[in-house]
Amino acid sequence: MNPRRVAITGLGLVSPFGGDLADFFARLLAGESAIRLLHTDDLPRPLSMPFAGCPGFDAEAALGRPLAGMLDRFAQLGVAAAFAAWDDAGLTRTAQGDEREDWGVVWGTALGGTMAYEKGYRDLWQNGKERLSPLSLIHGLNNAANAQISIQLGLGGVSMSHTVACASSSIAIGEAFRRVRSGEAAVMLAGGSDTPQAYAVARAWEALRVLANADEASAPYCCRPFAADRSGLVLGEGGAALVLEDWDHAVARGAVIHGELAGYGTTCDHSHLVRPAAAGQVRALNAALADAQLTTADIDYVNAHGTATPEGDPVEIDALRSVFGNGAERLAVSATKSLHGHLLGAAGALEAIITVLALREGAIPPTAHLENLDPACAGVDHVTTARHQQPLSAALASSFAFGGSNAVLAFRAVADQP
Amino acid sequence: MNSLTLIREFLDGRLGVPPDKVVPEATLAALGVDSLMMLELVFEFEDRFGIALAKDLKSPKTVGDMVALMERLRSEKS
Repeated sequence: MNPRRVAITGLGLVSPFGGDLADFFARLLAGESAIRLLHTDDLPRPLSMPFAGCPGFDAEAALGRPLAGMLDRFAQLGVAAAFAAWDDAGLTRTAQGDEREDWGVVWGTALGGTMAYEKGYRDLWQNGKERLSPLSLIHGLNNAANAQISIQLGLGGVSMSHTVACASSSIAIGEAFRRVRSGEAAVMLAGGSDTPQAYAVARAWEALRVLANADEASAPYCCRPFAADRSGLVLGEGGAALVLEDWDHAVARGAVIHGELAGYGTTCDHSHLVRPAAAGQVRALNAALADAQLTTADIDYVNAHGTATPEGDPVEIDALRSVFGNGAERLAVSATKSLHGHLLGAAGALEAIITVLALREGAIPPTAHLENLDPACAGVDHVTTARHQQPLSAALASSFAFGGSNAVLAFRAVADQP
Repeated sequence: MNSLTLIREFLDGRLGVPPDKVVPEATLAALGVDSLMMLELVFEFEDRFGIALAKDLKSPKTVGDMVALMERLRSEKS
């Protein structure tokens, strides 16, 4: 079977700013941060950390009361994002006929239903309960998001979730992409969701000493990838989803095509659980380029993994310099986590959406708060304020996870179709 | 609280079913109570009244059946 071209026909997210997709992208271009100080009432010691939450998310409004009540927050965010992407693609919520019997969903989540089980532990160990409600198990299922998306949209093909830490949803998108390209499915929904504010999860990140320090006033500016004065990463919650579609299928039904997913490369550093290695990232970048039949000269923008850690940032720039050689100096790079935080399993999907919008709109959102470049991160064209009216034809989005798993997605702008 | 009120509050809170639809002759399935939601409803009842239902209990079909079951268990307990 001839490989199919893969169109991106639907984009959906739960925005930390509370608005729609256009509003989200406009705020990123304006350099507006969604990061605030999060206070909780947890025992024995409340959380107080910079965080990019979705405080305006109304699960009942997005999903209806019965469905919202069946889901833990990570799955609520995921299904809401999937619905938004599906609506954006102009597809109906209910299936007609059996066309969707081989359509599927591939999801990514690093933590899955962790918050649901955490609630159980609290009830049993802190709140004096002796038993848990029957829905506790349903809430805690790590595949709850993909399963409910399949149920709600009538998708009869593969339905699964990948857990690959910070690369979860990039890998989900890549694996879904392969199924559309091979002709196995005309339409696949892919994305990810996560809620890393689970108490023990947040505390565990804190213990690793990689989280940014901030107070109320400095929180919006505390995530500074590639900066000499960075203090660490900022966790965020959210959900993001893309509809991937056989190009001819999309054209035949008159769908709006936002961009083309042209290639996917995934590798493992196979060296260390948390210390990234440039060699593994180089192989992933080259694999994505080769898969997309693109060369480094074609790439106008890279949405970097850029988490703002001294361990990660220089290695990533080192890998880009290796791959792009003399062209690296002219390569536009930005790390939008400076504005929306690190959504763990949802990060790759959110950043894929940002990359598609950058290509579609000809506008590059910045790495915010990057005033003092870390010399170890020099050698690429860091985008520190938004660039508009850019003729962008192709771009990469990178996710480099704990565990050494790397995933790079390669996108083409629609206007640049060969 | 009587058993019908408990069922009404539960269905309103969990599924958004208006209380005036929760009448004795209504079937639980038609109100959106599937097997999972039935487990939750039983759990809520047990929790509220300190009663443990037998595991092999036959599921009631209508709101009226459910009310009758709850009332019987409560009177047996008291």
